[in-house]
Amino acid sequence: MPPVLSIRNLQVHFNIRAGTARAVDGLDLDLGTGEKLGLVGESGSGKTTTALAVMRMIKPPGVIVDGSSIMLDDRQLLDLSENEMRQVRGNDIAMVPQAAMNALNPVRKVGEQIQDGLVDHGVRESKSAMHDRMVTLLNQVGLGSHVMSLYPHELSGGMKQRVTIAMAICHRPRLILADEPTSALDVVVQRQVMETLEDVRTAIGAAVILVGHDMGLMAQFADRIGVMYAGKLVELAPVQQIFANPAHPYTRLLISSLPDTAGKKPLEGIPGLPPSLLAIPPGCPFMQRCPEAMDICATEAPKLIGDERKASCHLHTEESLAAP
Amino acid sequence: MTTETPMSSDVPNNGAGSGLELRNVSQVFTSGPFWNRSQNVAVNDVTFRLASDPSLITAVAGESGSGKTTLGRIMLGFQRPTSGAVTYGGKDIASMSSAERKQFRRDVQAIFQDPYSVYNPFYKVDHIFMMAIKRFRLAKSGDESRHLIEEAISAVGLRPAETLGRYPHQLSGGQRQRVMVARSLLLKPKVIIADEPVSMVDASLRATILETLRTLNHELGIAILYITHDLTTAYQVADNILIMYLGHVVEAGEVESVINAPKHPYTQLLVQSIPMPDPNRRWADTRSRGESPFAGETIQQGMCPFVNRCPDAMVECRDSLPATYHVDSHRVSRCFLHVDAGTTGDRDISAYFRNRD
Repeated sequence: MPPVLSIRNLQVHFNIRAGTARAVDGLDLDLGTGEKLGLVGESGSGKTTTALAVMRMIKPPGVIVDGSSIMLDDRQLLDLSENEMRQVRGNDIAMVPQAAMNALNPVRKVGEQIQDGLVDHGVRESKSAMHDRMVTLLNQVGLGSHVMSLYPHELSGGMKQRVTIAMAICHRPRLILADEPTSALDVVVQRQVMETLEDVRTAIGAAVILVGHDMGLMAQFADRIGVMYAGKLVELAPVQQIFANPAHPYTRLLISSLPDTAGKKPLEGIPGLPPSLLAIPPGCPFMQRCPEAMDICATEAPKLIGDERKASCHLHTEESLAAP
Repeated sequence: MTTETPMSSDVPNNGAGSGLELRNVSQVFTSGPFWNRSQNVAVNDVTFRLASDPSLITAVAGESGSGKTTLGRIMLGFQRPTSGAVTYGGKDIASMSSAERKQFRRDVQAIFQDPYSVYNPFYKVDHIFMMAIKRFRLAKSGDESRHLIEEAISAVGLRPAETLGRYPHQLSGGQRQRVMVARSLLLKPKVIIADEPVSMVDASLRATILETLRTLNHELGIAILYITHDLTTAYQVADNILIMYLGHVVEAGEVESVINAPKHPYTQLLVQSIPMPDPNRRWADTRSRGESPFAGETIQQGMCPFVNRCPDAMVECRDSLPATYHVDSHRVSRCFLHVDAGTTGDRDISAYFRNRD
C-alpha cells in the first residue's frame, strides 16, 4: 500500500534574534491510506509545527529548510505555488483546529461559514442543492440542520468542534490533521467528539494525524503512535507495542508517569527539562534526562532505525526492535 | 483504619470548630436585564467539611459549569455565598475580625490553574515571596527571609539557585507552578485549595507537582482540596472525592470505590468516558448520551439536574430533587435509585469520608 503522505528529512527552523531554533529537526514519516497516527510530545517538541508544515502554514520567522520533502501521493507539496497549495488545503488535506471557539467567525452564522468553505473551493450549486449538502454534512457530525442558522456563541464547545469537523470533511480530504481537537472539552464531550471524528473518518476513508499530549486519548484512537522529543521522532510504533513494550526510555518514562485508576502508585515525573531548541546538544537530545545514558549518547546522535517498530536510541539495534 | 460510624450521631463526629466548613451553601448568579432575569445556580445546598484533623486530600471533580471552581472560591472567601455559611475554626468567615481574617488568609492558601497569569512579568519571582513575608511579617532580617524562601523552594523540589533572581518567563510552566506551591508553603498553611493545578502543565511534570501536593499532605499535614476535571489524577492523589453536576454534589465518598464502582448514573457516565492510557481498554461500544447543558442554559429547579441525560431516569426524577442517600458506610449518592439506603439528613458529607489507613 503506497503511503498517502511521505515526509523526508523535514526541517523547520525559526530564525530569531537569539539564533536558530530547530523546531523540527530531520523528521521522516510515512502515513498509509486511512491510517490513524497519533503524534505526541511535550510542548515545544515540534508536533504542531510538523502538522503546520504539512499544511505549509509555517509563518515567518519560521522556514521549511531546503532539502525537506513532503509528498502527498506523488505531489511534492513544497514545490507547489501558493495558489496550488490553497487548493490542496481543504480539498486534499484538512485541519481540525485546537480551539474551535477561535476558529469560527463570531459574527457570521454557522451555515454561512460552511458555505464560504464550499464556494471557495469551487462548489457551484443551486441554493437548495447547497442547503441539502450542508444538512448532510451537519448530520454526519451529529448536528441538526437548525445549527446552520445559529451563531457560534449559541453553540456549546462540543457542537463548535463538530462544526469545524464538518468544515474539514466537506471536500472529502485524503488526510485530516487534528491538533488537540478536544483539549478544551470535558471528558464526556471529548469522547463524543472523538467518536464523531472516527465516524466521519471511516465514512470518507481519510487518514488522520492526531496531534496531542494526552496518551489516554492516543490509546483510544490511534493505530500507530509517533513520539516526538526536541524536534525529532524518538519512537514510532503500533499503539499496542508503544504501551506494552516501549522501546525508547523517554516513551517508557512518559507512559509510567501516566495516572490510571488501577491502584494507587507513587507518581513519578520525568526529571529535568527538554534542551533549548536554540542549542540542541550533539548526541542524543534526551541524554540529560535519560536514566540509561551511555558514553556514546553524548557524542553520537542515534538514528531512527527499525521497520514496523522504529526507535532512535543506542540501546537498540534493528534486531532488538524487530523482536517481539 | 479508623472506621467512623456516621449513623451513630446527628452531629458530624469530628465536631464542628476545626477545619473549613460549608453549611447549606448555595450560590446563585443572576444575569440579564430586570424584565428577563435568568438565574444560574452554581452551587446548590452543599454541606461539607474539609477537616484538618486528620488532614486528608479531598478531590472535587466535575465538568465545566459544574460549580467546582465556585465551590473553591467560596471556601477561599473570595465569593460570599447567596445563602449558607462558611466557617473556619468555628467562626463564620463573613463576620471575622480583621485579625481573624488575616489568620484565615494565612492558613488557607490557593493554587490556581494558570501558572502564567498569576505572575507580574515585570517582577522577579522573588517578589511573590517577599510580598508574603512583608504582609505577614514572617522575617526580621533579609537573611532570615532568604532562608525561609530557600527552605520553601527546596521543599517543592526546586533548586533555589536556579529559581530565585529569575523572571517568570525564564521558568518553565512546571517550575512556575511549583513556585506557587512554594509560596503557599512559606506561610505554613493548614489548608491548600488547588484549582486545576496541573491542567496546563505537560504530562511529564504533572506527576511531579501532584507528588509534591501529596508529600505536603502526608508530611506536613496540610489538608488539600484538589479541584479537577481529571478523574485519573483525582484517583491517584485524593482520599475522598465529591462529584459535582450543575451545582449539586451527586456522589461523594472514598475515591477508590467512587471511581472503580460508581453508583450515580452521572459518575458512571464520567468514568466510562475517561480515555484510559491502555489500547486494550478502549471506550465501550455504548454510546454516551446527551451533552451537558452549557453555560447560560438554566436548569429547571425541583428536579434531578441529570434527568435529561440519565439512562435510568424514572418518573419521580422529574417530580422532585433527590435527597442525598448514604449508599454504604463511605459513600453518598444523590439519586432516587438509592432511596432505600436512607437519607443523610442534614449531616455533612464528610462524615462519610474515609480516613487514611
